[in-house]
Formats: sequence, structure tokens, C-alpha cells
Amino acid sequence: MDALIQLFDGFALAIAPMNLAFAAIGVLLGTAVGVLPGIGPALTVALLLPVTFKMDPGGSLIMFAGIYYGGMYGGSTTAILLNTPGEAASVVTALEGNKMARKGRGGPALATAAIGSFVAALIATAGLAFLAPILVKIAVKFGPWDYFGLMLIAFVTVSATFGSSPLRGLTSLAIGLWLGLIGIDQLTGQTRLAFGVPNLFDGIEVTTLAVGLFAIGEALFVASRHFYAPEKPIPISGSIWMTRKDWARSWKPWLRGAGIGFPIGALPAGGAEIPTFLSYTTERKLSKHPEEFGHGAIEGVAGPEAANNASAAGSLVPLLTLGLPTSATAAVMLAGFQQYNIQPGPLLFVQHADLVWALIASLFIANVMLLVLNLPLVGLWVQLLKIPLPWLYGGILVFATMGTIAANPSVVELLVLSAFGALGFIMRRYDYPIAPVVVGLILGPMADSQLRRALQMSLGDPMVLLQHPGSATMIVIATVALIAPFVFRGLARFRAEED
Amino acid sequence: MPLPASSGIHRPTLYIGLGLFALAAVTWFDARSMSIRATYGMGADAASYFVAAFIAALGVGHVFAAMKPGIDAGETDWGAVMWIALAMGGLVGSIWIGLGFILGSTLLFALTARAFGRRALPFDLAIGFGLSLMIFLLFNKLLKLSLPSGPLERLF
Amino acid sequence: MSFFSTRLAAAAVALFTAAAPVVAQDLELTIIAPAGAGGGWDAAARALQDTMVRTGNAKSVQVQNVPGAGGTVGLAQFVQNARGSDDQMLVGGITMVGAILTNKAPVSLSDVTPIARLTGDPLVVVVPANSPHQTLADLTAAIQSDVANTIWAGGSAGGADHILAALITQAAGADPSKVNYVAYSGGGEALAAMLGGQVTAGISGYGEWQGQIESGDLRALAISYPEPIEGIDAQPLKAQGVDVELVNWRGIFAGPEISDETKQAFSAAIENTVKSPEWQEVLTARGWTDYYAPADEFETFIASENERVGDVLRSIGLAE
Repeated sequence: MDALIQLFDGFALAIAPMNLAFAAIGVLLGTAVGVLPGIGPALTVALLLPVTFKMDPGGSLIMFAGIYYGGMYGGSTTAILLNTPGEAASVVTALEGNKMARKGRGGPALATAAIGSFVAALIATAGLAFLAPILVKIAVKFGPWDYFGLMLIAFVTVSATFGSSPLRGLTSLAIGLWLGLIGIDQLTGQTRLAFGVPNLFDGIEVTTLAVGLFAIGEALFVASRHFYAPEKPIPISGSIWMTRKDWARSWKPWLRGAGIGFPIGALPAGGAEIPTFLSYTTERKLSKHPEEFGHGAIEGVAGPEAANNASAAGSLVPLLTLGLPTSATAAVMLAGFQQYNIQPGPLLFVQHADLVWALIASLFIANVMLLVLNLPLVGLWVQLLKIPLPWLYGGILVFATMGTIAANPSVVELLVLSAFGALGFIMRRYDYPIAPVVVGLILGPMADSQLRRALQMSLGDPMVLLQHPGSATMIVIATVALIAPFVFRGLARFRAEED
Repeated sequence: MPLPASSGIHRPTLYIGLGLFALAAVTWFDARSMSIRATYGMGADAASYFVAAFIAALGVGHVFAAMKPGIDAGETDWGAVMWIALAMGGLVGSIWIGLGFILGSTLLFALTARAFGRRALPFDLAIGFGLSLMIFLLFNKLLKLSLPSGPLERLF
Repeated sequence: MSFFSTRLAAAAVALFTAAAPVVAQDLELTIIAPAGAGGGWDAAARALQDTMVRTGNAKSVQVQNVPGAGGTVGLAQFVQNARGSDDQMLVGGITMVGAILTNKAPVSLSDVTPIARLTGDPLVVVVPANSPHQTLADLTAAIQSDVANTIWAGGSAGGADHILAALITQAAGADPSKVNYVAYSGGGEALAAMLGGQVTAGISGYGEWQGQIESGDLRALAISYPEPIEGIDAQPLKAQGVDVELVNWRGIFAGPEISDETKQAFSAAIENTVKSPEWQEVLTARGWTDYYAPADEFETFIASENERVGDVLRSIGLAE
């Protein structure tokens, strides 16, 4: 196979001792910056990118790959240990991961995230290497109607993150949708709910919302209960490694997560968040221990983390073959490629075959390096929880706000962040789930624009959604998923009455 | 927040419900004032009307839910909450009036530590200062990220 | 192992932050990029930063991102903070002209001091490879016969892409307010819609779609530049009988009410920078087209752009 030979050539370049060292440095730097709460992978890569500029393309590309995977992985560490996801794709990881950490199972949670990320990235990078040209042909056929169908499925599955009360879950989702309205509408240029404040014209930054709700809201809530019901995460109980049972419960979610994450990540408007939601729902539905969900189910960490990393590799498909960045991280990566005079696009594999294959080989190597370096570090990360609470939360807030300041140094942004902190506090106080707010903010605007694009192309005819087989199928799936539980419940009641 | 047992109404739920009505009303009026129309298909106001209606429906749900006993939020240390509010205020204020990142983050760290029951403010200020300085030097100097500058930052 | 890699990391970091070459001039500048990291203005600001320091036209340059509202947040802040300042500059471009009008911003480009126009990239009009439209004339004929079903894809509403679509529609003899323009978050997403065959035609910066045009996935019908450009096969709209030109220009500004000396110093530093071979390398690497104009010419140019863009935006109902 041609691709295989070229991949081996790529490996030959990447495996040189100096390049291995660069991979290690990249992974270390990426993890070290990515692990800071509030600093997601996009910012990590953007910050560390200049570090790689002054080197020869081969070496810097390899370090770059290390930074990319290191940053992706670092983000989940704080989500699990401190309940402060630095980006939207780790929000789902925090749901179960932090519950595990609070039970003293932070070690296994980090380990399943690390190994899951490794497995998923391995599969997805292989997918990138061998399937990219085919995948991209299918992906561009995805019209706005199809995206709208996908959004509907995602909306229906969000209910899995609702917790005990549908009313409170839906309210959280509605708040997210409302926040999604704020700003200038992309399609018409109409401003919605910005009240003349120019800083709101670009809409609410997902990172600001996630950091405010999680990091600041959490700090407020924990502080408010500190003297009445202290809930301190237990540093370690039992082994910090995964038990045989943990392995048995993790490997299928890893594979499924990779299967969900890679194709959706490869869609030009797929993103990294939707696969994590879908994976979480899938694992919850398939788990033999559904009652553990919401209380620290390891499947709920293994699946979404795998999905997250697989979609990160998947997003390289449109990036490399079309020059199309589908996430903030990918946009920064694109800037990085241009520094090496690599112009991603259909000719990339032809014109710069050697560099592309070196990059793909580097991704494999960085991935292995990540596992090798980070599994031993799990023991170190869980020590974070031994920091006395006052300093721990002081540090979390400093880093979390610094991430926001770094991305947009405006007072308005900081006030918005504080307001989200207050919102997160109130929601925790009255037991409203947090994740649906973030989900609403991400999905709402996407569903809105895609639906309106579809209607614009059909000149207002809603039947366009049902005329395309892809969207029709997905709308049917979403409808069935929405109605089925009620029907089954009704049937069960009916049978019970017959007996 | 203990409630008067006689009322039978869960006040927080009721207030949240009323808040949702207000939010729905604001959204509705905002949608009505939109001037740019889409030439084809649906305009930007459609999503606003949809969300407004959705939120209003949830408001009704909350009013009904308030009739039943709700969640007891438990004892709350409002002092600690105020300290964190003050900590955030310290950061926002310091950036607002141009005192810079280091001072703001120092205040944020020390006052947050105070919220969690520390009584050694000078010592925590020193730690916060060290931490903020380190972050500033690392990000500003090494990674060329421009954090807001004040008098302290200009020294470096 | 860890000791070894720490040492390596330290060495590597020391290597990358090694001091820039000796500098001739003493300018210590802050360039405001009124957009987030990764966008065109950010790239321009950082390219300037790098080139000015390397060519010795400034001692140090800091880039500060002030994103928001098509650059108008950064502009408003700049008007306020850089009054009379001798160490601050702002990057801007045609998108800002449009954003000021559509966002009803309280400030405009007449509040700042133009220093120089830097780059001007052509926009390109493309159709998918399997489209029935072989030439620009086919496309304008299609617009004439059915403007609603001639669906355009491009960047955000009111941006340069949208303005060009409206101008072409008008020049083809149809009502520009009836243009069916589907806005995407950037050239990339619009590209997917083009390749998927969901739209009739697309508009974006030439550089963004260059790969697809060269590989034959997209057919370039015309560029929006007034004259032909070397290395680009597609001919200008004007040369094909559609009397429209639009250049996606970027320029650099100083604060309001700056002294004549500052204006002189800034103009000289920028002029020397853009005439250096280093800047030419940047242009080639980034795929940007040189569109330099000195302060006076730039000022007149902005006034005419302001009027033109305003007319189009009013005709498509985005400005009053």
C-alpha cells in the first residue's frame, strides 16, 4: 500500500532521537499549560506555537503534534480533579470524572481518560492516515438540513445530563439557548439581546461560560458550605491505578467513543462537543450500572474522553484536506501550518506528502509519548488535591480568570464571567444541572443557523428537511428517541393494568 | 434557607419562575424590535420567539412546582460568598482602573483564601503576589501574551 | 529522564527567545489587532510586529488583541486610549468600514489617523467544478433570469463577500436587495457548501480557496481586483464586462490628534518596513497582495470606500 510506505518514511523521520526529544518536550509543555484550569487546548496551542517557529519544519512539526495532544489531555485533568473544565469538550468529562475524584477515585478516572485518549487517538489517527480522502468527500455532502438533523439528535440526547428533574434540566437548557441568542446573527447581521453593548456583539464565549459556571460557581458553592457541610475531595483511596473491573468497564466505551468522535469530528461543522454528549448518552444507555451515572461511573469518563480525542484527530481531516478549521484549536493549528509554508488543502497530500506523513507519524509518536509521560504523572496530579482548600481555590480562580483575560482583556468579559459565576452558584444551590447550559449555548446557535440556511436555500419551503434522505433519517431518529420513552412507559403501565 | 412552614409555597422556585417570565418578556420585546428581515426563509427573530415561548412555559412549570415542597438549600455561609464576590471585585476593579494583572490576581487569591477560612491575609497576599508574578513573567515575557499592565507590570 | 528533558526544555526555550537583531530605531510600539488570535488582522499585526523588529524599524513591538464586533470594539477603545499617543497603532480593513455602519458604532475611521494602506487581497468568484456555469456571463445570465435561486455562499452578513455578491447582482441588472446570500462563519465552511454543491456560487479571499481552484475542485470565474494579477488565471470582473471592483484591503492607523512628528515617524517606519525584502517574503508566504499607499492617499481612499460600502449596505438593508 502506497500510504503505508509513505507512513513508514514519515516514521523514519520522526523516530530520530532528536525528534523524539522534541516530541517529549512538546507533550510536557502542552500538558503543563493545558492542565491550568481555564486554559483550554486552543489557547495552549496558540501560546506555545511560537516556541516551535524557529526550528526546522520536521522537528517543530513533531513538537507541535506533542503540544496538540498534550494540551488536549491536560484539559481533562482539571475537569476531573477540580471540576473546572477549561473548554466545552471537557464539560461532560467533569460530570462523572469529578464525582469519581470526590470519592477518592481520581487516579482511575485520570488513567481511564489517559488510556482512552490514547486508544481513541490511535484509532482516529489511523483513520486520518488512511480514510481522509474518502471521508472528506462524504463530509462535504453534509448539507445544512443534515446538520439540523444531527443537532436535533444531540438535543434529544442531552436529556441524559439532566439529573433528577426534567423541569430543572430543561430550564438549564433554556438558559443556554437564551445565552446563545446574544450577539450579531451571522446570517442576517441582526443584533439580538446585546442591548447596545459592543462587547456582546460577538456573542457569549463558550469558554467564558464554562469557566464561570464551573470554576467560579464551584468555588462560591463550596465556600458557602465550607463550615456547614464540608465536602473536600478525598486525595486517594485504594489504588491510583485502574482495577481489573475498571478495565473491563472501560474498553468498550473507549472504542465506542472513538467510533462516535472520529466521523463527527471529521464533519466540516461537527465540532468536538457533540461527540462527547452523544458518547455520554450512549454509555449511559448501554451501561450495566446506569444507577452509577451521576455518581461517578467510569464509563462516563472513558467514553467522552475517547470521543473528545478522536474528534480532535477527526478535525484534522477537513483541516488537512480542505484547509477548513472546524474548532478553535484547529484554527490555531492552521496558522501553525502556514508558518511552515504548508497550505492545507486538496493539494497538500500531493505537494507536501513528506511533511504530511511526517505530521501523521508525529501524531502517533506524540500519542505514545503522552501515555508514557502521563501515566506516571497521574500519581502527581492527584496530589494536587492535597493542597489546602483556601489555596487550591485561590489558585483555581487565578488561573481560571487569567485564561479569560488572556483571550479577551476586557472588563465587560470579566463582568460576564463573574455573572456566570453567580449563575453557577445559584444553580448549584437549587440543584439545577450545569452541563445543559453549556450544551444549549453550543447547540442553539448551530441549530438556528443551519435550519435557516436550509430554509434560505429552499426559499422558505420547510419540506427541504424531509426531502434529503440524510436529514429525514436523523429527524425520524430524533423523534423516535424523544417519544419512545413515553410510549414504553405507557405500554408498561398498560400491561401492568392488564395483569 | 428555612421557610415559614405555614406558607406552603416554595419561594425560591416561585422567584425563579417569575425571573423566567421576565427573561421571556425581555426576549420577546427584543425580537419585536428587530429591523433586519431575512430576504428568504426565516429571520433572526424566529429563534428569539421560540426561546421566549420556551422560557415562559418553563416559568409556568416553576409556578406549579412552587406549590409543592422544594429543595432546601441548607445552611449558607454568606460571609464566604461575600469574600469571593469581593475577590472577583478586586480583580475586575484592578483591571478596570488600570492597576494591572498582578495586583488584581494577588487580591483574587488572598481574598478567596480568606473566604475558605484563612486568617493570614498578609501571608496569603505574599503567596498570591508570588503566584501572579510567576504567571505574568511566564506568559508575558516567555510566551508573549499581553496581560493587562499596570504600574507593577511596567517594572519588568 | 525528567532531568534530561527539563534541561532540554530550558535550552530550547532559551533558543527561541534569543534576542532579535540590533535595531536602528527606538520605536517601542503596541499594535492593536481588533480581532482574536488566528484572524486576518491578527496575522497582519503579528507579521508587522515581526518584520518591523527584524528590519530594525522598531525596537520592540507588542501585539494586543481586542476582539469584538467586526473590529469596532477595538476601534472604540483605540480612539479613547490612543489620543495623541506616540506608541500605539491599530490594524483595520474594509470589514471594519462595514461593521461601523451595520453596528451603528459611535466611532468611525475618521476618528483615527490613517498611516498607510498595507495589503489588498482580491476576492474570487467561484462555482463548483460540476456547475453548468462555465463563465462569468453564464452566472450573470442566471442572476438575471432567477435571482432568488442563484444562491451565494460566503463570509458573514455585511462583510466584503456579501458586499461583492450584492454589487455583482446589481451590475447584472437584478435587484441587489433580492440577493440570496447564505452567510457562513468563514471561507472554510462556505467552501464545504460549495464542494457539496449546495449553492450556486461562492465568494471568498483568493488565498483561502487557492488550493481548490488549482486542484480543479472549484472553477474561478473572476477576481474582484481592478487589474489582472500575476499567477492568477481568473480575470478581473471589470475586464469581463461587469463593472465592479472590490479589494479586501488592510491598513494601519494611529490614534486621534497625534503630533506631526509622530505621524512622520510612524509613516517612515511603516514605509521602510513594507519596502523591505523581508516584507515581500511575508507577503509571498501568506499569499497577500501588496497594496501599499501612504497616509494622504490612504485617507482619501477610506473616504471613498466609506461612501461606496455604505451605499451597498443600505441597498441590502443592513444599514440605514
